Amino acid sequence: MTDVTHNTLPGPTLRHPARFRLGQTLTSIPVLAWLFLIVVLPNLLLIGTSFLQTSSGLISFEPTLKNYARMLNSSGFWMLLGRTMMLSFAGCVLATLIAYPLAFYVGRISRRSKALLTILIVLPLWIGLLMRIFAWRVILGQSGVLNAALVSSGVLDEPSSAFLYSPLSVVIVFAYYSVPFIFISTMGAFEKIPQDLFESSQDSGATSWQTFLHMVWPLTRRNLAIGFSLAFLVTVGDFVTPAMIGGVDGTTVGVLISSQFGTANNWPYGAAVAVTLMLAVTLLLGVILKLAPSKGVVVGGEADQSTLAPAAPAARRLGAIGFAAVILYLYLPLAIVVLFSFNAANLQTFPLQGFSLQWYAEIAQDQSLLAAVKRSLLVAFCVVAVSVTVGTAFALIIFYTKLRGARAYELLFALPIATPGVVLGIEMVLGTAALGIPSGVTRVVIGQMSFAMPVTMLLLLVRLRRLDPSLMEASLDLGANHWQSFTHVLLPLIGGTIVAGAFLSLTLSADDVMVTMFLTGGEPTLPIWVFNQMRFGFTPTVNAVFAILIATILVLITVATIAQKKKRLT
Amino acid sequence: METPPADSVLSLVAISKTYDGARKPALDDVSFAVNPGEFFSILGPSGSGKTTILRTVAGFERPDSGQIVMGGTAVNAVPPFKRDVRTVFQSYALFPHLTVLENVEYPLQMAGEAKADRRRKAHEALELVELASFADRLPHQLSGGQRQRAALARAIVSRPRLLLLDEPLAALDLRLRQQMQHTLVALQKELGIAFMYVTHDQGEALSMSDRVCVLADGKIAQLGTPREIYFAPQNEFVARFVGRSNLVPIEFRSTGADHVGLVGGQQIAGLRAPRGGSARMAIRYEAVQLTPLAPGASPAPGTLRGTVEDVLFLGTSLEVNVQSHGLNLFGTVPASQEATFWVGQDVQVSFDIQNTKVFHD
Repeated sequence: MTDVTHNTLPGPTLRHPARFRLGQTLTSIPVLAWLFLIVVLPNLLLIGTSFLQTSSGLISFEPTLKNYARMLNSSGFWMLLGRTMMLSFAGCVLATLIAYPLAFYVGRISRRSKALLTILIVLPLWIGLLMRIFAWRVILGQSGVLNAALVSSGVLDEPSSAFLYSPLSVVIVFAYYSVPFIFISTMGAFEKIPQDLFESSQDSGATSWQTFLHMVWPLTRRNLAIGFSLAFLVTVGDFVTPAMIGGVDGTTVGVLISSQFGTANNWPYGAAVAVTLMLAVTLLLGVILKLAPSKGVVVGGEADQSTLAPAAPAARRLGAIGFAAVILYLYLPLAIVVLFSFNAANLQTFPLQGFSLQWYAEIAQDQSLLAAVKRSLLVAFCVVAVSVTVGTAFALIIFYTKLRGARAYELLFALPIATPGVVLGIEMVLGTAALGIPSGVTRVVIGQMSFAMPVTMLLLLVRLRRLDPSLMEASLDLGANHWQSFTHVLLPLIGGTIVAGAFLSLTLSADDVMVTMFLTGGEPTLPIWVFNQMRFGFTPTVNAVFAILIATILVLITVATIAQKKKRLT
Repeated sequence: METPPADSVLSLVAISKTYDGARKPALDDVSFAVNPGEFFSILGPSGSGKTTILRTVAGFERPDSGQIVMGGTAVNAVPPFKRDVRTVFQSYALFPHLTVLENVEYPLQMAGEAKADRRRKAHEALELVELASFADRLPHQLSGGQRQRAALARAIVSRPRLLLLDEPLAALDLRLRQQMQHTLVALQKELGIAFMYVTHDQGEALSMSDRVCVLADGKIAQLGTPREIYFAPQNEFVARFVGRSNLVPIEFRSTGADHVGLVGGQQIAGLRAPRGGSARMAIRYEAVQLTPLAPGASPAPGTLRGTVEDVLFLGTSLEVNVQSHGLNLFGTVPASQEATFWVGQDVQVSFDIQNTKVFHD
């Protein structure tokens, strides 16, 4: 046959072009540099510092186990650690009891309004954490809404101080802001169960309860555990809620750590406490994740809306009532803050004293507030810019150069996200101090970058992995070079994810208190300014600031939702 | 040693490729040439290396050794976007953010053509695949068959010399698949572009191709016209993979001047070989002849007795599984109104020796 030819023309037959290998090494340098400077170094410094000691407020570089010995021998510390874990755990369990059934209702029973209901539950995440804590203070305080209502209705003779400054109120607030985390996480799992699994379970003779126990629970427990862990990490790293709501009995390890890096000025002891807290949290979450293993992968994508089985009217009504109750729980505190921002009186008590815009007028005149707003905007701008550029670049590097051990890198990148806020805060203090970066805007930007950039990067990696790999090949095949393929195909396809990453980074940056608190020095951002106001006597201006924030976010979300709907329709 | 034909669109010269971490080579010394305007198919089971050939020709993989020659020059180091080759991907790989028209315009846009020109050419290509009225749709608004045709239009719009098709019909249902086969053949003849068509479906390969290259484990098992492949398989692999064949063990016994073939100890009429020993006979289902045996009757000399084990009704034909001398033999017989074969029936089995191929050990 003339086809079978066996000659060899001279020409290149490179197996592994050396140029590519070198390129791979070069491009991975920035990735490794970031990991070392922003993730590994601060963690090492934290551990290192925990073995140092202070003499008259200065750190002396003599290795010692003194800090750990002090903790071990202090029964007070173990009680505090136990209480910290209990408070967070109880808060997350309460949130689970609310969010898990809710996710089932929204994911499987409500049909037409799923998107709207989801937004309603997730929306509070965008409205600052601080503000939500603050709102609860208004409700639970001695002269707060709850007391006023109870006294005026005759249940109590005089305002009780039992509501605010109690462990129970800390649990309520923890649960309050944990609900959206657990909801998002489990809702994804509920949605993905194909309807025919329910039908085949019924068909096999299982009762509703058996179906839940043997099918729904195993398929959703992993996501629940992840949402639970996320919420646990946020609550355990929160030292603001215990300080503002918890009082003496509600103090947590977070408060202890922050005081060691503040007024008590004993960094080594604070570092040792932080390391211990990290260990305890890792242990607990490890057990929780172990108890909720995931087996198998649900194939077949999302449940088709049209095939969802109609629920019994009674069940639907019950679900709707439950949903309404949760929405009330989530939004009532916010509504009260907005209401008080228009109240003429100086005190946060009912009845309202009359309509007034004076607090809004005061905002415009408060120079320190305006400076804080400007600073927040500057920080947010920098953080978003870094998140988008570096996050995109790193995601592309990790995805396309097929970096060896990419999964390990991703875990390392995610470490700051999984570090309790208060611990990350002091790590960033140590890291930036070691690099000679002074307190202020630069430190804040670096601190916020550490958790905001990985969010964008990981989102993008997920998107890149889901893209049909032949799309980029098709583009090259059709005559587009690498750059043209990037701008014409890849960028339009991942653009939405980049915008989502930017939006998330903006939220994380604008909202952050726990990390930022340690880094601002004398230059507070807006949340820190608000925090200071709350600490050093209250001005109702804060209500007005929050009301404006809520309005801004509502407008932003509405615009974004409408824009997305339009895009989907065309 | 031969040089590739000077006028071939593409020739592969002793291409070998082993993927990182794999023990067996994906391609092992593969050589062939595709002529201008030829419909050339690469047929093989999954893992035989067909996709690797396609990706190497498109430029997404580099061979470890050997040459890919296009237009007289080796293109091993030429990136995909500089090769005069277009691919129709199995997943179609239509850009989801671009309309059908924009998708088809894409290669022209990358080549820097003026907007008016590329609009006109894109419309022409869409007319060719009868998709002109869907120009403004986004890919997700099309059916599977329409997506397939959009991908085809995009691949041919800039008139490449060679079009690679990676199992393009795999995702379509049977009727659409048959319809698309006619479309593809007609289009190929009209455009005069050489097609290199990768498939694991022997029906597709045989029905459309000028020549077929059968791959097994990274090597060429046979290269020839569909008729050669079908009627004169060169080895057991091809015999088994192409068409539906029985592979019957045979013993050749000397009868002095000649050797006669025995199946299960029974001599088969007309089966002779120049050498003795054991062998296997590949015989297509349609070359197995079955005749009902009356009760008590014995089969004619040179044929086998068998019992029907099961019968599949395939519409135009019956596929009958016959147990005979410890072997399971399959035969197809034309279906008729009245049932002619039933389970447990005694039948006489004979072979159309003209249509068999014997492979000695």
